[in-house]
Amino acid sequence: MSQRPATERLRRLLVMLPWLMERGEVPVAEAAERFRIDEASLVRDLELVAMCGLPPYVDEMIDLFIDEGVIVTGVPRLFTRPLRLNRVEAFELLAAGRAAMNLPGADPDGALNRGLLKVARGLGEDDTGVVVVNPTPVTVATLTDAAVERRRVAVSYQSHTADAPSERVLTPYVVATAHGKWYVVAHDDRSGEVRTFRVDRIESVVDAGPAEVAAPEELPMPGEWFAEGDVARATLLVSPEGRWVIERYPVDAVSEPDDLGRCTVRLPVTSERWLERLLVRLGPAVSLLEPESMRNLAERAATRVLANYR
Amino acid sequence: MADRVERLTNLLALLLETREPLTLHVIAAELGGQYPASEQARRAGFERDKAALREIGIEISSVTLSGDRAGEMGYWVERSSYELPDLGLEPDEVRALQVALAMTRPDSAVGEEALWKLGGVAGGVGGPVRMHLPELKLLPMLRAAVAARRPVGFEYGEVDRVVEPWGVLLRDGFWYLVGFDRHRKARRTFRVDRIVGDVVELEEHFERGGDTDLRSALPDDPLLLGAEGATTTEAVIRIGVRRAAGVVRELGSERVRAVLDGGGVEVTVPYVNEAAMRSWVLGHLEDAEVIEPAELRSSIVAWLEGCLR
Repeated sequence: MSQRPATERLRRLLVMLPWLMERGEVPVAEAAERFRIDEASLVRDLELVAMCGLPPYVDEMIDLFIDEGVIVTGVPRLFTRPLRLNRVEAFELLAAGRAAMNLPGADPDGALNRGLLKVARGLGEDDTGVVVVNPTPVTVATLTDAAVERRRVAVSYQSHTADAPSERVLTPYVVATAHGKWYVVAHDDRSGEVRTFRVDRIESVVDAGPAEVAAPEELPMPGEWFAEGDVARATLLVSPEGRWVIERYPVDAVSEPDDLGRCTVRLPVTSERWLERLLVRLGPAVSLLEPESMRNLAERAATRVLANYR
Repeated sequence: MADRVERLTNLLALLLETREPLTLHVIAAELGGQYPASEQARRAGFERDKAALREIGIEISSVTLSGDRAGEMGYWVERSSYELPDLGLEPDEVRALQVALAMTRPDSAVGEEALWKLGGVAGGVGGPVRMHLPELKLLPMLRAAVAARRPVGFEYGEVDRVVEPWGVLLRDGFWYLVGFDRHRKARRTFRVDRIVGDVVELEEHFERGGDTDLRSALPDDPLLLGAEGATTTEAVIRIGVRRAAGVVRELGSERVRAVLDGGGVEVTVPYVNEAAMRSWVLGHLEDAEVIEPAELRSSIVAWLEGCLR
């Protein structure tokens, strides 16, 4: 018999029981779907707790039976309230809520802010323990409006590889912020593909009429910005002073530190110039292991920059 | 043998319902044979159950008894530490929290569990705006210390600190801990990912002083990070035509000292931290050159020469 760990089963039960008791009668299928558990396990665990209790009132502690696919709960006595939020859950809720309050469209008098205030107070703190500050450039609001209203925009985009800005028509789907930068995921008329653009490189935005391209079903989510398989990868050996790279950029893999505290980091390289900038900024804190073809990239870039000073 | 979930449920029910601390002897008797008969095996089983309950967030309180059971341990579960208090959330508020999680932490199992406890359900679409929240394992306990007003001790910058935490702050993709550093006797800001090793929560309480607003803890300009009590230096940087427009947009036109022939600019940039300044300048590669001060100029040259290996 396949068994989930006892602790996980009990935890799930302690979350489910108050919800079931509040409703009185719930179809097994509905409860199973809501709490992401298969029906057989759900029924088995509920039948088990229905037998729990203490002498002399066994069977009265948790008054529950299952009849023709419906869970019926009687007078609630015990486990009527859910378990407290643990530290990790509390942080998750507050951080997500505070972050969302910082995004365009958030209403300070809205339901989210009211809910957050109640959660924070319930956790025994005033309203100041978790703060998210993420400035929103004007362009972000414009792009968000375009995504909501299904409009296209004509932009002038300065990519970090090209010398001059390019003129493009974008159909924005998602505007997102990660690692302190804003991005827009949009259909791009130049390439005919859905691509990710950095908002701070957009130099001008003008409305260009209603959207003509429907949003694809799968859009990249925050945290996987450059995760497409066709982006080149580099492997770096990074000293402790250079560890910020791991926090700052999306990485595929990080090894355990060696004796000197150095990690091997594999990360997507959006362009050679981007990697040059990264290597020169890291200086002695990094060496490039792979690919072979980029071995002297840092040296070449440093030589070019040094030419300014001579 | 009975299902472990059954024994754990019975144990929890007993310890929640009891009006007085119960000894292990009484617990085993009440649970009627669900624990082994031998003293040693029974103790081991009970300790495993205690650990299992702790794992899902339930603490068993204990006290050394006096009177006719002197010296024995008594156990119970404090109802207020087990139950989620009624937060008085309205359905639209729970839904708003669900949307917030979908916008910032899609697929978070922890968030789903939290929503279940609040009577909500995870999933759904978060709309067209999203934020990626960096995850750090120290954050939940730091926030808990903020809520409980307990000082924390940790190693940072090769110094052991004791800090009265006021809150955690996310800005520009990094989490910071803001609080009062007891040794420095001043407000300090710490990057959470640079805290070395574990954080210890001290068993004492602190009172917050006057201005503890986190928002003012970080200057708007990242190059002025760590400015508390330090002196600011002003650098002059020459920016090539290719990056000129972007840099002026980033810094503001009041920082432009001169517009050069060919479209480049010279900008003045105040800074505190040389490493941050160096990183900013080198981020522009050959499109930026330090003109002043001479010390910064020579330190950049030395850094670049270090790259020629």
